[in-house]
Amino acid sequence: MRNREIPKGLRDLLPDEVKTRRSLEKKASQIFTSFGYEEVITPTFELLEVVEAGVGGNIREKLFLFMDREGGIVSLRPEMTVSIARLAATHMQDEVLPRRLYYSANVFRHVQPHLAQYREFWQMGIELLGAPGAWADAEVISLAVKALLDFGLENFKVSLNQIGIFNSLLDDSAIQPEDKQVIRNLVEKKDLVELSRMLEKLPINDLLKETIARLPTLHGGLDVLKSLPYIEKSRNAVIAVEELMEVYAALKSLGVEEHILVDMGVLRGLDYYTGVVFEGFSPELGYGLLGGGRYDKLLSQFGFSCPATGFALGMDRLALVLKNQEEEPPRYIVGGNNLQVMVQKADELRKEGKIVELDVEGLSRVDLHEKLAACTNYIIIYLDAE
Amino acid sequence: MHDNCLTIALSKGTLLSPTVGLLDAAGLPTDGVDSESRNMVFDYPGDPRIKYIICRPSDVPAYVEHGAADLGIVGKDVIVEQGKDVFEMVDLEYGYCRFVVAIPAGMDGISLKELNYKRVATKFPQVAEGFFRRHGLQVEVIKLHGNIELAPLMGLSDVIVDLVSSGRTLRENNLVELVTIMDSTTRLIGNRVSYRTKYEIIQPLLEKIQGMIKGA
Repeated sequence: MRNREIPKGLRDLLPDEVKTRRSLEKKASQIFTSFGYEEVITPTFELLEVVEAGVGGNIREKLFLFMDREGGIVSLRPEMTVSIARLAATHMQDEVLPRRLYYSANVFRHVQPHLAQYREFWQMGIELLGAPGAWADAEVISLAVKALLDFGLENFKVSLNQIGIFNSLLDDSAIQPEDKQVIRNLVEKKDLVELSRMLEKLPINDLLKETIARLPTLHGGLDVLKSLPYIEKSRNAVIAVEELMEVYAALKSLGVEEHILVDMGVLRGLDYYTGVVFEGFSPELGYGLLGGGRYDKLLSQFGFSCPATGFALGMDRLALVLKNQEEEPPRYIVGGNNLQVMVQKADELRKEGKIVELDVEGLSRVDLHEKLAACTNYIIIYLDAE
Repeated sequence: MHDNCLTIALSKGTLLSPTVGLLDAAGLPTDGVDSESRNMVFDYPGDPRIKYIICRPSDVPAYVEHGAADLGIVGKDVIVEQGKDVFEMVDLEYGYCRFVVAIPAGMDGISLKELNYKRVATKFPQVAEGFFRRHGLQVEVIKLHGNIELAPLMGLSDVIVDLVSSGRTLRENNLVELVTIMDSTTRLIGNRVSYRTKYEIIQPLLEKIQGMIKGA
């Protein structure tokens, strides 16, 4: 029965799962809207040139690519930020900035599927376009925290980093460009063993080696930054640290700092991030729940020089952690032998906001009760019309 | 924000006994954990509570990646073959072995380049394919589940990619090592979320084990 299969990594969502999903989406839309974010919709597929200009060339093996009839190569969108950047560069160059946008969309990546990682998955996210600075970062991060709180998640943290710290440590050192790329890859893959082996071989200052080797595991409050002795020697790293501290201070003013950690291991996979980056996670799931950061250079790839910051929530992962939160309202079923009378009753109840099914099978009172004996959530109304 | 419990997935087989030695030296409870036991889960109440899952080495990365275990102890050979998204934290330095390309003694003198379009039998198709591709060679990889050295003897493959430690099995089957692909030792791996949520438990343990390895 091959005709019942679906492609690997995809799935059907059944009514209960969709209810959970829609309730999360509703909460997120409400909070985003109340902060002035407006929803946009972009095409499900983009030209390959657009995707690659945004996320860089090394994502190609994760893309679902196909040809359009005109001979162009198109890609199912692997994420939304690049599409929004393209949209803003096309339609919003003359508008008053900052602009606040949000989206709810399915995205596609050709990954090895497993629990919490599908080839088609859903993201909701916001992008704050046209605002540099710590306050903008803090607004976006605090919205991530608020969304998780609104979903009813209590046990979670959002980890912050400023990727400029890591990048300027590498850039200001005498490390060869190809070695830098290797180090970046190792840190991103979190292979500390190979990283320390690699660093040992490099002709650089021991203190710098130690600092780079420890970065991926540094984790905690702001004092984490104090245990980075080498930082003071790199002017750009100092600037990045200061920026991170400003964002942290702003988050305090926004009242969300109890959910914030500093974690130098957060580097995010995509190439476009330029400043503060963050990830959210909960001990209930071994995978991240949200991710985002500042990407000040991305829009200029599309001819619009504009700073920006944002995040995306992984809706499939959140749904795993937040299963069955809402209580089901009871369902009414109206049975009887006179359709007109039944419809009248059903409509009355619907006007009161009830969920009402009509017994379209026309069962007798006994049969109807028997059939629904096991369904505790049904209220049966049987109308005998003479 | 952590529940005060640490779950560690351990590889059963030859790695188990040195692993128990290491955990013991690091001050973790290990009473009753041994390869003879039929138990697959060991639970030690305390602060923190420690749980071990004893499983096949090739299953350890899966437990850790999904967060069913916070930490895992497993060979680098398994980690590279599976390419799972785990935090590779410490080289524990025991359980040494290496991936090699081995050829029948009769082919001695052949160079790597001459293996183009040959058949390669292996338990590690990712490692084998990756290696040959890096060297610009196309090979046909035949995945087997054990006793790889049998494949060239029976004409199933031309060469093999396998793990060796002393090299005795190769010699006994009249095979010679052509080239070493990479060395492998045992690693401590961690789940990327656990590492953050259970930082207060994991970080001191990590430092202790690192100290023990450096001092050794």
